[in-house]
Amino acid sequence: MTDLSQRRHGLETLVGAHGDREQLSATVTLEIRAAVRQLNLRGDPGKAGLRTAAEEALGQALPVQPNATTAGPHTICWLGPDEWLVLSATPDAANVATALEQALSKHGAAVNDVSGGQVLLHLAGSGVRDLLAKGCTLDFHPRAFAPGACAQSGLAKANVLIRLDEDGEAFDVVVRRSFADYLLRWLRHAA
Amino acid sequence: MLLIDCPWCGERAETEFSYGGEAGITRPKDPAALSDAEWADYLFMRNNPKGAHRELWNHSQGCRRWFGIERDTLTYRIAGTFRLHGKDEG
Ligand SMILES: [Zn+2]
Repeated sequence: MTDLSQRRHGLETLVGAHGDREQLSATVTLEIRAAVRQLNLRGDPGKAGLRTAAEEALGQALPVQPNATTAGPHTICWLGPDEWLVLSATPDAANVATALEQALSKHGAAVNDVSGGQVLLHLAGSGVRDLLAKGCTLDFHPRAFAPGACAQSGLAKANVLIRLDEDGEAFDVVVRRSFADYLLRWLRHAA
Repeated sequence: MLLIDCPWCGERAETEFSYGGEAGITRPKDPAALSDAEWADYLFMRNNPKGAHRELWNHSQGCRRWFGIERDTLTYRIAGTFRLHGKDEG
């Protein structure tokens, strides 16, 4: 597995002098997190042993409630009744995919490293909820979008996964690499 | 804008979903045994009721699961959503 710490996210021309951290407005900051590894996991959670094996390999449970995440060594987001996204920023993240694949091989699961196909945008600041609400039909009021929740939806018509961190302060937006350029431009404009 | 209650994700805006036609169409077990008319009926013919209609929808911008909706084609009122039987039931 390649080391992601020096990885390019493909948006270098667009971010230019801003680098990977950018002040989008007085109340919103953006950070492109290319070093976070992204693993897509698919498998039937009803199958005996799959959840236990995944939990042993990852050091934390898979969320089985819709639109939930679990925190621990990694952040695991629920994507569907048989699909998850593992976001890993641990030093040995490169080995997580292999370990997970080995642990789950007997359980009919598929593990795919999708780090190169998706970009993780980290948005923080008091204006984030209002900014996201400009381009998304989800309800971002703290009453509706709670800390640790995630949801897939459309943001400015691009398919995204949106997750609110455990503190309820910053959002992660995961978008397809090919839409990242467009979405970043939209965010700058909308902010 | 319809508010559609995905059996997994809960209520979401209509724009997150795509329509998949009439529900309950089953592929014939032995297509070779059918006449052309029967095959064409399976392939092309759909009910077009004024009123209650059971139909397939996909939560394409969300969990990407197929599920069913009973919707009134006149008033657009959604009587309910349901999971499909089989592997995808979750
Ligand atoms: Zn859904």
